[in-house]
Amino acid sequence: MPIQNALSTSSFGPLIEHLNQGRPELQKLSHVGQAQFGPKLQIERFRMGNGLSILFVEEHAAPTVAYHTWFRVGSRNERPGKTGIAHLFEHLMFNETEGLAAGEFDRQLEELGAESNASTWLDWTHYDIAIPAAGFERVVELEAERMNHLVLRTPQVESEKEVVMNERRYRVEDDVEGALSELLWSTAFELHPYRWPTIGWMSDIESFDVDDCQTFYRTFYAPNNATLVVVGDVEPERVLRKLQDAYGSYTPAPIPEPPSVREPEQRGEKRLEVTKLTPTWKLNIGYHSPALNHADHLPLSVLSEVLFGGRSSRLLKVLVRELELASDVRASLSPLADPGLFEIFVSAREGVSAEQLLEVVDAELDRVLSEPITDDEVRRATARIELSLLQGLSNNEGKASTIGFYEVVLGNPIAGFERLSALSSVRPEDLAVVARRYLKRESRTVILVRPQSDMEEPGAPVDDDDDEPITTRRGLGVSA
Amino acid sequence: MSGGPLLLLERDDSLPLVHGGVCTRSGATDDPEGLLGLTRLCGRLMRRTAAGLPVEEVDARIDRMGASLGLDSGHGSTALSGSVLERSYDDFMRLFEQILVSPGFAEDELERLKRETLAELTEILDSDQQLAQRWFLRSLFAGHAYGRTVIGSSKTLSAIGVDDVRRCYQRHFTRQNVVFSFAGAVDRDRVERASRAIWEALPPGVAAAPPPAEPVAPKGRRLVFVDKPERTQTQILIGGLGTHPSDDDHFPLLVANTVFGGTFTARLTQEVRAKRGWSYGAYSSLGYDRRRQAFSMWTFPKAEDAAACMALELEMLTEWWQRGISAEELGWAKRYLAQSQAFSCDTAAKRLGLELDELTSDLPKGHYARFVASIGDVTLEQANRAIQSRLSLDDLTLVVVGTHAAIGDDVRRVIPGLADDRVVPFDTE
Repeated sequence: MPIQNALSTSSFGPLIEHLNQGRPELQKLSHVGQAQFGPKLQIERFRMGNGLSILFVEEHAAPTVAYHTWFRVGSRNERPGKTGIAHLFEHLMFNETEGLAAGEFDRQLEELGAESNASTWLDWTHYDIAIPAAGFERVVELEAERMNHLVLRTPQVESEKEVVMNERRYRVEDDVEGALSELLWSTAFELHPYRWPTIGWMSDIESFDVDDCQTFYRTFYAPNNATLVVVGDVEPERVLRKLQDAYGSYTPAPIPEPPSVREPEQRGEKRLEVTKLTPTWKLNIGYHSPALNHADHLPLSVLSEVLFGGRSSRLLKVLVRELELASDVRASLSPLADPGLFEIFVSAREGVSAEQLLEVVDAELDRVLSEPITDDEVRRATARIELSLLQGLSNNEGKASTIGFYEVVLGNPIAGFERLSALSSVRPEDLAVVARRYLKRESRTVILVRPQSDMEEPGAPVDDDDDEPITTRRGLGVSA
Repeated sequence: MSGGPLLLLERDDSLPLVHGGVCTRSGATDDPEGLLGLTRLCGRLMRRTAAGLPVEEVDARIDRMGASLGLDSGHGSTALSGSVLERSYDDFMRLFEQILVSPGFAEDELERLKRETLAELTEILDSDQQLAQRWFLRSLFAGHAYGRTVIGSSKTLSAIGVDDVRRCYQRHFTRQNVVFSFAGAVDRDRVERASRAIWEALPPGVAAAPPPAEPVAPKGRRLVFVDKPERTQTQILIGGLGTHPSDDDHFPLLVANTVFGGTFTARLTQEVRAKRGWSYGAYSSLGYDRRRQAFSMWTFPKAEDAAACMALELEMLTEWWQRGISAEELGWAKRYLAQSQAFSCDTAAKRLGLELDELTSDLPKGHYARFVASIGDVTLEQANRAIQSRLSLDDLTLVVVGTHAAIGDDVRRVIPGLADDRVVPFDTE
């Protein structure tokens, strides 16, 4: 438990005692611990009698508050035939409650000037609200209302299923990269629930009914399966008193343990070639990678930066610049509770095949062992990781997201800073060790995407006198 | 700074980070006809050839500092900016000076960059959303600078040579035309010193060119169907010209648009997404540059729902135009816009962005300082008048990306009074 025990150091004792006076056991708070969050802020951890976890950071830099609710349920908690229920349910959480007509939840948030969104992934579901500080109390009431008083009816479920199916068409069916990533994970994993997509298979989404949703709600949406993260311009007493009033009557529920599935070691490369309507070849490779809490995760993330991170990374330099074989090269190391994938994506230039790309990628991965990584490469990679972490903390929303993510996946809200501190001890030889351990051809999955014949020669497009403007537009949120 | 560069600074010591860079008050609208994409290429080439260094060395220095440095090239401005760990700030500014004052403009690097840009153009074919935007702006702003490409085309890119790039650099990166802006953990003295050193090394130049002429919307309802095989979903954009913040009716139209399609509970999202489930997103928005930009509605229904969705959107647009918004809706939209403004300025970098936007988009001075008050002043009559006076039901640009053989006829049938109907292959450049 990285947050130090608060009993001996807490200055919250008198406040907690005062707030708990006359309250039933379910509502009683305890101050569980505290931890430094970066050089200037402190996280305070509380727990309510009903099991609700609360992480609070008092931060007065802006007159706003980030109010985030994390549930320890994601698509890993689903089962075949019911994939996508966690994500569909996230959508339904913006609908009718016992005290709010359909649409009222969002309307009231907007009246307060709040911005809200939600996201679901393999291990968790996350609801985030950014609110001007004056509206804090009402937001707590709204969030508490939907945690326990959601109303699920057939018309809303059917309409939201349509929305989610359209989201799936947008992110997967008509999106080459989305379809490719889904295929990679479902091929690489054979047993673990990470093999199905968080958005769910289309046929499963189509089949959900109100009963499925109610069962899911009753099973996973309980105070003892949630963590509230509050960061911003509010004082502790105001926060804690309101949370007691809003959530204190909720009773805990027995939460099923997440499935304990050990993915069998992959013996032998899996390789698929698919055809898509895309102008150039694409290559997607997945290597099985360690869980976020594994000691190898940090050096592997540094290796990922060395190879794919900045413009000076090895693969970008070779594939995009020197050989001019690719237009886009990326990699990501999954930050999951269980082992995931180290995923590489490469988009070819015209006339270049995925096999050619794979040959270069393989040669460069081999070079990690034959031509050791230098101290300077490690320095560049760690500097980029440091920049990325700090950029994510620029406002209350970013701080709350970082705290909540590490809390839900690792049980340690300051793990981001701990990883940052540990970066200085990562050595080039550590990277060689993890490269040897994880980047093994015999246990990887390779997907090659062949462009359909009618798009193979986009170098000779139909001419047109006009030219195209390239602009940016407001994008979509993650979900909801 | 008196007798020095135009410098914006927002101090914030909460994190050991500095954000910022240089922005020119001119952009791709200045690209000569036949050399479209020039300003964007110029900015990217400057970054790659700082002080004549090899690009590998520039890239390694940026990564080593813990920095990001990129180019944002628009019609009205060009920004070279990024973020850096506070401990590397001085190194960052030294590199910045080399990029801005002594770019190498190596010819082989220019050719490489052009090939990379051509590959980017090919990649766009994968994105239906970008294809819809491309054709919407091209059609709405036909003949106007805002309808021209920022990135260039294969034809114009091939025509660009090093001398063109040098001339572009000399035109944009001058003392009169650049704005320095920084936010974060850095004090004014350090920023002023570094900015002044760069500024003094730049040629005097002339003030920013005037903005392009005010765009005029094409007459009639004009449909462009971008034909792409095997689409299970369509991208639909419908719109016309909007307002510029210097227009008297900008805030009234902003409030009216918030009611129509500006938030999750706005009419469009409720009707298209919440009630019918037809599209994951359904929004309308108002854009601006140094002149008026587009008012647009955006949805992406499945192919089978495309025609019905198009019909519903046109019906809703007509209803909004004819009957306006209610007093209750006005009050809610004003409260939302005023309250949520807190999130436009909750970090130093965002506050800096607003200041810079005022300068580069020719906004009225104090636009953001008065934002909440200006929203508060909007009356119901002004909001409803703005919809009718600024938007047109007759002059609409409609773009659909989808599979024409499957839904083309159905879509066309639901658009009353169609004046022009064009089908273009999706890989038309």
